[in-house]
Amino acid sequence: MKAFFLFIGKIIVVLLLSAIVLDFIYTTVFAQSKIRNKVENVINSKPQNYDVIILGTSRANNHFVSELFAEKGLKTFNYGMSGAHLFETSLLLKLMVERGWKIKNIIIETDLNLCNEKRDDGTFGRFMPFMHQSKTIADHFKNETDFAELYYVPFYRYIQFDAKVGLRAFYKTAIGEPTNVLANNGYYPLGFNPKANMKNNIESLVPLRNRYFEEIKQICKSNNINLIAVTTPMCSNVKGMGYFKKVKKLYPEINEYEHIVDGDEYFSSCGHLNDKGARLFTAKIIEDLFKK
Amino acid sequence: MFFNSLSFAIFLPIVFLFYWFIFAKNKTTQNAVLIVASYYFYSCWDWRFLFLLVFSTLLDYFSAIMMENSTTDKKRKLWLWLTIGINLGFLGVFKYYDFFAQSFADLLQGFGFHTNPVLLKLILPVGISFYTFHGLSYVIDIYYKRITAERNFIDYSLFVSYFPLLVAGPIERATHLLPQVKVKRHFDLEKAKEGVYQIIWGLVKKVVIADSCATYANAVFDHYESMNSLSLALGAVYFAFQIYGDFSGYSDIALGTSKLFGIDLLKNFNYPYFSRDIAEFWRRWHISLSSWFRDYLYIPLGGSQGGMWMKVRNTFIIFLVSGFWHGANWTYIVWGLINAIYFLPLLLQNKNRSNMGEIVMGWDIGSLKTILNILGTFALSTLAWIFFRAKSLTEAIGYLQRMFTDFHFESQYLNNERYNFELLLLVFVFVGVEWFNRSKVEPLSGKASWIKVTLAIMALLALGVYSDYKEFIYFQF
Repeated sequence: MKAFFLFIGKIIVVLLLSAIVLDFIYTTVFAQSKIRNKVENVINSKPQNYDVIILGTSRANNHFVSELFAEKGLKTFNYGMSGAHLFETSLLLKLMVERGWKIKNIIIETDLNLCNEKRDDGTFGRFMPFMHQSKTIADHFKNETDFAELYYVPFYRYIQFDAKVGLRAFYKTAIGEPTNVLANNGYYPLGFNPKANMKNNIESLVPLRNRYFEEIKQICKSNNINLIAVTTPMCSNVKGMGYFKKVKKLYPEINEYEHIVDGDEYFSSCGHLNDKGARLFTAKIIEDLFKK
Repeated sequence: MFFNSLSFAIFLPIVFLFYWFIFAKNKTTQNAVLIVASYYFYSCWDWRFLFLLVFSTLLDYFSAIMMENSTTDKKRKLWLWLTIGINLGFLGVFKYYDFFAQSFADLLQGFGFHTNPVLLKLILPVGISFYTFHGLSYVIDIYYKRITAERNFIDYSLFVSYFPLLVAGPIERATHLLPQVKVKRHFDLEKAKEGVYQIIWGLVKKVVIADSCATYANAVFDHYESMNSLSLALGAVYFAFQIYGDFSGYSDIALGTSKLFGIDLLKNFNYPYFSRDIAEFWRRWHISLSSWFRDYLYIPLGGSQGGMWMKVRNTFIIFLVSGFWHGANWTYIVWGLINAIYFLPLLLQNKNRSNMGEIVMGWDIGSLKTILNILGTFALSTLAWIFFRAKSLTEAIGYLQRMFTDFHFESQYLNNERYNFELLLLVFVFVGVEWFNRSKVEPLSGKASWIKVTLAIMALLALGVYSDYKEFIYFQF
């Protein structure tokens, strides 16, 4: 039996050493990259100057055309991330500030995402390689129930979020293959989708006095950043548009733009404008909020 | 509690320590600790179904004794059919009632009668198909006087509920397992090490091969209408490796776990994708089920006695029943039927036992023919798997139709953010490892075992899929 325990002990040692080695290799590779997603693009950046930074979910990513801001002389980047919650958006802003970015204006999409204070695993996973590199990230995540495993167990974070920072992402990062996420200064245009489901039911959603939106407001205030919060368009066939009234009641400072684009021909799906619609919407935003 | 879960990684060492250090006094204490562990293991799914397991154990235990004590054949037969009836009755209610009710309603609707069938919508108790067949083999063996009834209830309970095989087999035989639980087990270092190697390799098959293939196979099958011929062919191949990695990986973990307790279970897989014809495939795939149907259905039906017509009839019966055993869906029945059709030419030409020996390869025409036969058999079984995987016959036929008529072969980007062909490399490596180790139970033991174990652990960490697809496919049966 002693020999068997020794055998098992050796297997555990091999397991631990393998985890430590893989953790080191993965972290080293991810730490060099800034061309595959918006999270690493911010984390591995040098200080930047922007007139406008756009934050939010896919409803920011697909709705704000950076090029139209640039035409008005506004240096702009769209950091909206598909699926992101305000939990990750707030962290991204903290990292921008920590890295010495000078930002004049932030446009943040604050509508459907106000009802959620939890993390989005897809976006959360992209921060994993940098947990030990940045105290800001570690502090932001420290209240998560699985923080201890993610932080202290070697390679666990890569296993847990293998779809985002697993072998495939590691390999693509190692060979330096860029994605299209950073093209068009972060704006991702959607096409017209004739088969799209042009209806949505948001009756069950309830907006919260969201702690991460409060955090974002606080960061902007203390760094002299002009924060512009907006709601973004929905298609015509939505049940529960009263949600936006509740948002307005909770946060009167949020600018209402949910009805600004009329006609389903401007939508790719019920909650996402196509490129034509996004250009219409962005033009309206610039006209209303960046009049000189 | 899945074999590839953290809870099992905690559970197994605890049971091991109790078994070898605290309750190692005699076989009764060893068996008792394994029964408690097995009942706990089973209750982790749904404790309510423990009653069903205990009832099934009691029923078969007492029926066997009554059968043995019966003085007339009539009484023996009565006990046999009573036990079979109750066992299959439970299986029927939980697994098949809704299927029959719905199929009957559909049939009536075909004749213009509209009915609303009463559906039970019961949750299927995990492992019911396995432990029911397990118990049935025991009472049938008693009836035919192949064995004597077990009088020790603890030993018999362990035979039925032993946790490594409880939820997805292998379907054990009393003649094989009972003699092992009736003696005190002594720790055997080599057997325990074999067990650990088999567990690690089983995990590689499940977490690396099956679950990786599952991400691709699901992406293709779930959107087959938008997939081209190449993607659909690859999707079918990926599913073939998913189900093999999943089920044979499970079986390896079960066999390996059992070896840690000094008990050998029946081998369930023998590199089935290296089979040279369909008959050989069925001697290598889910061996414990195939041999169960052979011994308890095919042979009692007359087997190969009574001429060619009887052979054909009995072959079709066991393939159809085998398909239906997997699940209450026409897709499984058609899957069984397709395999019977594949088998038929071999049967008619009396060639169903022509590939019984080892595969020997060399640089000659015979070896080339063997390789082509292996590829052909794999292609046939993969086509049949499409019916096994599809949610309905319409989906399976649509899938096949599109695969053979689309004629577009460019690589497609899948909804799961992956290209369709990247996984092929991993599958090729896996096939290579299995091919060069086909004479062994697993590839990790032997020369340079530490290097192989390290590579397997690295593969588990780096290539494993952990964020999704954790369930073993055969748990649903």
